[in-house]
Amino acid sequence: MTACIRKGIAAAFAALLVAPAAAQVDLGTEEQRAAGKVVYDKYCGQCHGDAGDGYGYATPRVQPKPRDFTTGKYKFRTTPNGMLPSDDDLRRIIEIGAPYTSMPGWPNLTSTEIQNVIYYIKSFSPDFENPDRYGEPIDIPRPLESTAESIARGRVVYEEQGCAACHGDVGRGDGPSAPTLVDDAGDHIRAADLTQRWTYRGGPTKEDIYRTFSTGLNGTPMPSYADSLEVEDRQHLVNYVYSLGEADDPNYGTLITAAWTEEAIDLQDTEALDTLFETAPMTRFPLIGQITEPGRNFYPSATSIEAQAVYNRGEIAFRVRWNDLRADNTGRNNPSLEVPMWDEDNDIVATGDEGDDGGFFGVEEAPADDAGFFGVEEVEPQDDASFFGVETVDDSADDFFGTGDDFFGAGEAASDGAEFSDAVALQFPASLAPEDTPQLKPYFLLGDAQNPVDLWFVNLTYGVADTFRGRGSEAIEPTEADIVEAVTSYDQGEWTVTFKRRRASRAGVSFAEQQYTPIAFSVWDGFNRERGNKRALSSWFYVYTEPSVQQTATIPMLRAALIVLAIELLIVFLVRRRARQGTAEESAGGLTGTEAPAV
Amino acid sequence: MYGLNLVVVLPLVAVAGVLVWRRANTLTWLLFSLIGLWAFFKFGFIVPIPQSVATIYLGITGLALVCYASSSRERLAETVQPIVRLIVEPRYRLALAGLLIALPALAAYNVYADLTAPLEAPGFGREIHPPPPTELTVHDETLDMATADNPYLHYHEDDPEAYEQHLENGRRIYYENCFWCHGDGMGGDGMFAHGLNPVPSNFNDVGTLPILQSSYVHWRIAKGAPGLPAGGTPWDSAMPAWEKFLTTEEMWDVNLFIYDFNGYQPRALGQH
Repeated sequence: MTACIRKGIAAAFAALLVAPAAAQVDLGTEEQRAAGKVVYDKYCGQCHGDAGDGYGYATPRVQPKPRDFTTGKYKFRTTPNGMLPSDDDLRRIIEIGAPYTSMPGWPNLTSTEIQNVIYYIKSFSPDFENPDRYGEPIDIPRPLESTAESIARGRVVYEEQGCAACHGDVGRGDGPSAPTLVDDAGDHIRAADLTQRWTYRGGPTKEDIYRTFSTGLNGTPMPSYADSLEVEDRQHLVNYVYSLGEADDPNYGTLITAAWTEEAIDLQDTEALDTLFETAPMTRFPLIGQITEPGRNFYPSATSIEAQAVYNRGEIAFRVRWNDLRADNTGRNNPSLEVPMWDEDNDIVATGDEGDDGGFFGVEEAPADDAGFFGVEEVEPQDDASFFGVETVDDSADDFFGTGDDFFGAGEAASDGAEFSDAVALQFPASLAPEDTPQLKPYFLLGDAQNPVDLWFVNLTYGVADTFRGRGSEAIEPTEADIVEAVTSYDQGEWTVTFKRRRASRAGVSFAEQQYTPIAFSVWDGFNRERGNKRALSSWFYVYTEPSVQQTATIPMLRAALIVLAIELLIVFLVRRRARQGTAEESAGGLTGTEAPAV
Repeated sequence: MYGLNLVVVLPLVAVAGVLVWRRANTLTWLLFSLIGLWAFFKFGFIVPIPQSVATIYLGITGLALVCYASSSRERLAETVQPIVRLIVEPRYRLALAGLLIALPALAAYNVYADLTAPLEAPGFGREIHPPPPTELTVHDETLDMATADNPYLHYHEDDPEAYEQHLENGRRIYYENCFWCHGDGMGGDGMFAHGLNPVPSNFNDVGTLPILQSSYVHWRIAKGAPGLPAGGTPWDSAMPAWEKFLTTEEMWDVNLFIYDFNGYQPRALGQH
């Protein structure tokens, strides 16, 4: 009897010891995996590859690259560094996706479908059959209160651990190593911009942040700090990182309100200029890749831009800000630079990893070489191109490279960033819409033949504004009708460019008070080889010049109230008079009822 | 339930019930109808209906109520009498004074709310599926839009293998070019969709692919935004003219694929 119990207990213990590992190796049944394959082939294979190798139809044109399931390496996990993810980790990403990547959430899939897909995904890597590769999910403690002391301690940890080397001193993803980062597959990978929480791939909450530096992102340069940092220090670090961003949500707007000022707008007086813009409302606009016209940019660096405007009696000034991991201010750029077809596929390899093939045709060495190789050059009369020499515009060259996707593939290095510079442009219609068709605008992609646009363009190599008139992507010409001034600065991962122009224009749009003027933005990141039509852009938004004299609501309110009151009193007066007459008639003629006066 | 906000709708129904039970007079019914409908249009839907639509409905209902109230002398008297009594009879003096103050105050508040509302960019209407041209020329080939159909659709019946090949090619085209805007699952929610206005078409929607002929979809693919008539605001749409990038066959293939992926059939030729 006792022996029997003892045996039972021993068995139970044995089961307890074995159970965790055994329970984790759950590869599903053959039917479940088959059902998962159906879902996978429909929704996942186009990016992750029908064979799960991370190479689907979309792969050459997305960044970060789709997960290669055959490696068993997963970024977003609750399990320790180097371990396989739990089913819940996989489920989480399938359900909500990874923001600002090509991985969307799949809210339409049922829980069973997701589980089946997880079983199928696990079948791509033999690691999932190995119990040693499984780890217990880490504990994620409740976040500490975000006090000034906690944030200060977090800052110390941030400095001690060298976070700034990649993420930058104030977290804009602009650390000195940021341009060189590559993942295990050799693809360039960006350090997270800690000031824009909504772009965190693993999620914006404090728990997400804690999980990321406690488990690391497998396959990337982001390590785990589980061994080097106490739990509490990690919690302080969470509070510090969290404090670097203002919101979980970008709160994208559609309108800039240009603030009125009596002051002069002097671009050279930095301090006065900053004071002017301090109180002007700021709006953040989304930027996406230009993928409508040739020279497509499937993976733009900038995902948003902040804009403000102020205006006085004679002038209007715009200030735009965006984050960029490095100031590329030595290369060339302009809105009409040609982008050969092969350069649409975005396979960047970071500095120091330049393949020989990149230089084979001399494409990346000196800007002049490619043109020289084919012996074709077309020197544009006005811009940087003439300064730096040449650019290829010959179709035969494009065709030649057009077939060379694979050949050039990974060889296209950003190298020292010398080839293309960062740049920014504001775009306005050349004239406002006629009153009878207020919805009419020029084509948002650099205008069209009937309705041109004006570009205020700054190549950050020079930091001065050039003006262009666009009648479509293939018809952009410099203009000198209006003088636009600009000042620029790059500070810890953030570009600030301030433009100024006279409000009145003879050739372009004038900025009258209380006027809605369409505006659009373009940003070029030289590091990402963005130039010409390969850029980040916005659709049309508006700038509104607020009234110079702020009207108080009192007078219109009083007017409305008085009008209503007058109508009321009139009605009361008429009704009462009629009632009196009625009563008089009633006593005179013996009529009854209040109906009588209605006759 | 059907997008109705029950927290608002149920109390309205309850009030109507009370009015029936208490045999409310015509004026009460009229006031209830107006205020109730206003509340229903403004707060009764989970996804708000456009203000302009609500205003039109409310205007029509208001007109109908006036017609009803004045449709017979008795009804008019029944409606007007309580108002006249309120104005004339001394015992209602306090209520009348209250009303005389409340209405101007309401008007003033309305003006205040209007003036202090946050500014918004001007918005303009747009035709979602503007009328197509009668003829379409793509890569030097002219199609009659009324009779043209996807040239590979018939493989579905007579050559399943060829059909699969065209589908697979369409899948390649879609995920090399389209999903950034129209989305991996074709919900019009790709990774660039948040930066676009108008938003990309949602192909899951029963109001998109099934009501269009495949020649219409071919027109939209080949000519993109620049091919739209003015009613479709071609200056705002980011839809490329795919004839610049793709062959005619590739465009028909992706056309085939988006229908197949969503399990829809194109609207049949001549079906209206």
